[in-house]
Amino acid sequence: MDRKFFDRFDITLFLSVIGLIVIGIFAIYSATQSSVNNSGFYVKQMTFAIIGLVMVVGITYLPPRYISSLSYYAYGLALVLLLLVLIFGRTINGNKSWFYIAGFGIQPSEFAKVATVMAVSNFFYKGDEDNQKFSITQLLTATGIVLLPAILIKLENDTGTTLVMLSFIIPMFFFAGVSPFLLFAVVTTVAAAVLAFINIYYFAVFLALLILALYFFKKHWLLSAGVFVINVIAGYSVSFFYSKLQPYQQKRIMAVFDPASDPLGSGYNVIQSKVAIGSGGLFGKGFLQGSQTQLRFIPEQWTDFIYCMIGEEFGLLGAGVVILLYGIIIYRLLTNAYLSRNRYMMLACVGFASLFFFHMFINVGMTIGIAPVIGIPLPLVSNGVSSLMSFLLMVGIGMNTYRHKDIFLS
Amino acid sequence: MKREAKIYVSIGVMAAAIIVLFARLVQLQVVQQQEFGKESEKNSIKKIIETPARGLIIDRNGKIIVDNRPSYTLTITPFQFDKNLIDEVASLSGIDPEEIRNELADAKGTNRFNPIKIKRDIDFKTISYIEENRDRLKGVSYQVESLRFYPNKFNASHIFGYNAEISEKSLNESTENYYRQGDLVGTTGLEKFYEKSLRGEKGSRLILVDVNGREVGAYNDGNNDVKPVNGSDLFTSLDSELQEYAEKLMGGRRGAVIAVDPRTGEILCLLSKPDYDLNTFIGSPDAKEINRLFNHPEKPLFNRVTQTRYPPGSTWKMMMALAAMASGKITPTTTISCPGSFTFGNRTFEDHGGYGSIPVVRAIEVSSNVFFYKLGLMLGIQDYHDYSAMFGFGSRTGIDLPNETKGLLPSQEYFDKVYGVNKWSQGLMVSLGIGQGELGVSPVQMVSYTAAICMNGMYIQPHIVRKIYNSSTGIETPVEVKKRQIDMSQKYFDAVKKGMYLVVNGSGTAKNIRNSDYLLAGKTGTAQNPNGNNHSWFVGYAPYDDPKIAVCVLGENAGWGNMFAAPIAAAIMIRYLSGNSADVFNENVKMEVND
Repeated sequence: MDRKFFDRFDITLFLSVIGLIVIGIFAIYSATQSSVNNSGFYVKQMTFAIIGLVMVVGITYLPPRYISSLSYYAYGLALVLLLLVLIFGRTINGNKSWFYIAGFGIQPSEFAKVATVMAVSNFFYKGDEDNQKFSITQLLTATGIVLLPAILIKLENDTGTTLVMLSFIIPMFFFAGVSPFLLFAVVTTVAAAVLAFINIYYFAVFLALLILALYFFKKHWLLSAGVFVINVIAGYSVSFFYSKLQPYQQKRIMAVFDPASDPLGSGYNVIQSKVAIGSGGLFGKGFLQGSQTQLRFIPEQWTDFIYCMIGEEFGLLGAGVVILLYGIIIYRLLTNAYLSRNRYMMLACVGFASLFFFHMFINVGMTIGIAPVIGIPLPLVSNGVSSLMSFLLMVGIGMNTYRHKDIFLS
Repeated sequence: MKREAKIYVSIGVMAAAIIVLFARLVQLQVVQQQEFGKESEKNSIKKIIETPARGLIIDRNGKIIVDNRPSYTLTITPFQFDKNLIDEVASLSGIDPEEIRNELADAKGTNRFNPIKIKRDIDFKTISYIEENRDRLKGVSYQVESLRFYPNKFNASHIFGYNAEISEKSLNESTENYYRQGDLVGTTGLEKFYEKSLRGEKGSRLILVDVNGREVGAYNDGNNDVKPVNGSDLFTSLDSELQEYAEKLMGGRRGAVIAVDPRTGEILCLLSKPDYDLNTFIGSPDAKEINRLFNHPEKPLFNRVTQTRYPPGSTWKMMMALAAMASGKITPTTTISCPGSFTFGNRTFEDHGGYGSIPVVRAIEVSSNVFFYKLGLMLGIQDYHDYSAMFGFGSRTGIDLPNETKGLLPSQEYFDKVYGVNKWSQGLMVSLGIGQGELGVSPVQMVSYTAAICMNGMYIQPHIVRKIYNSSTGIETPVEVKKRQIDMSQKYFDAVKKGMYLVVNGSGTAKNIRNSDYLLAGKTGTAQNPNGNNHSWFVGYAPYDDPKIAVCVLGENAGWGNMFAAPIAAAIMIRYLSGNSADVFNENVKMEVND
């Protein structure tokens, strides 16, 4: 373990992270400078970015076993905080997910994401991933580890973060060695339900593709037929329940998938955000020159809709660079997972990569009108200390994985 | 499944997702860029129309007589306005909520971002309230507008006229595309006649607005803005002090007064009674009060100087004298026998006295009726019409006030049309000879005719405005005034003027207005009026040897009748000639007017 300081320092990951943070600070500055109350946001973000980056470097050099051994404590702490926030928390924008300590808003749900990934990694760390046989109890326990905080977060009325919590189950289970066919069956069932709801033709195409996929899995025909039937039932039951809803309820659900159907409600933000990004063109309107941003046509533009500002003022160039940086970060996390001889670290990296990916895809997709409007931050870019610190925590563990990629943990 | 394979699957899913995001970005930012670019401009750029201040009206001494003052107009922008606020706005502005609803309904179909003017001239307390509750009262705002302000001790209501919100009809008929709903437009008087000069040119300002419609700055540093051009000022020939004096003299009586400088045709004062307070029309006028004015039996909105026609009575006699001499029917020395009455056919026309055989000068002095009955018959309708037309009768004088009447000057064609060809007799000429019958003249025609006589036939278009000057552009537009010399021998004018001189200074009908300081000349008239008491006229000018002012006074059929016009006219002339210092009018003067 006699290694030089800069050996195995994941400089690509580190610089990409810094790049996003810098873009984020510029974006926050631009999005808030016309506002009286929020114009100091970028300073706070910058301060915590520096603290966070120091923390990242610190974590990089921790012995991996410290991290894994902290997992359940971190998870336990997260649960306690989530319970406390339910009781004592403050409600902001309808979500009861905030603590206020000395003027700082802290969102336990952001830390719960990291802690839960760590707990799941810890739960699965033993064993040979290629020939894993999990008992039903094991699978249910692992799922339970995720669902428990997810339910608490849902009780806070924070649907976005709840969905985020569910996003890493499949990838982590996949890498943990759970039968791909089982995961495939779960994923297709969920997809069937969603597609049947959106459009019956999509659903038909989907079923055709499903038959093809089931054929390639080469499982026993009864098993394949069973999966197919479950899919069909899932699709039809969703359509059935939807038709039983009151029109106003249908409208609300529809607006999530098709914002244009509700141009004055939730659709308004998406329309304005598309206008902002579209009007940016190739090179953007220039820093601080975006009319949509500067004139505050986009609500909460320094948090969930910050990508609009980037698209409007920095154009396709800036918007593309941001996506590219996420691509690099996710790629690095996956590579580190691949290289790691530490099963805990491998699983944690996969979980973090999933979180980065899901946040990025849903957030960017929402602003350009191809994903439902779900209130989650853009990692490392959106204004918010809790979110920034928890993503930097993930980056730190990812960096640690690279540094200690050939250390077994057992 | 090997870990490597899983990594490939993961990277594949990620790459596919990133490609989807990229493709979508290209679609929005490259393919649809223009569309969204326009959309974002529409979002944030608002065009504000800037209405310039109306031009001022200035009197002959440079005194501002129609001014502007800033005022606040309550507006509602339908796009942002919440209908639940109607009641609050109603109580705030003191308007009926129903009226606001109607205004909003009227504005349907127009641009919902344009503010609708709800009430003009709201007080500062209301403004403060709106400002304090800005976030709650979305769409409720105000504009600064300039409203008319009259710093005078006189009304001059028929000269200035009022501005009113443009009617839907004129808005639709206007081909200019200048006016918008709620705009004020000159509706009567000078305000109407010189509307295009007074109104100026509207400007526009492009501003950036935020999502709440709040102004955050100029678009493109104001480079696309169009500055409004202030309205041009009207420099008039009006004499404020004379106007005030004349209005005081007329008091509550009905009638009309107009005075001009005969050398230039410039109007010195002009009034029609009853008049009204122009302030009634300022701001948000009280509908009841406006209706009362419109439906008043004495028609205060009517300009009796230019819009009414009356028979001129004996003031017409100079016209007859000139026509008879110019057509060669008589000479200045021809005498005509004037007994106490005149019989034509089976009808006898009375006179107020017998005068023997008298020449035309004497006939004017004593206002003999028989003399002029006979002249009427001698002239015949053709000459009667043609010579009268030379003095502007039967056509508009061209005074710069709207809706001037042509009056009525009968002709052969006219009588043929009214009575039928050969169905009317020369007997009509008898009455016409003394300014009665089917003859209608307006006071402005009468004063122009008087001025032309004293100027020996120089007929000048009467006018109020001397020049139009725009203080922002520096452009000065002189007003074109038509002049013409009436082709008649000087001795005819001398004879008529001599008669008019003797009316006041001889043994004539207006000898009690004789003044030792100023030589006045003129002619009284009492016109019979089938609808009531006689109208009392006086036309005159002064000084006799060097005319500087010509006046026409009409007293409409009130009981004071022919006692009034001459003293008022005299007082106005002397007042003017004395530099607005003398006051010779004495209401107790009971003068004998023998017509």
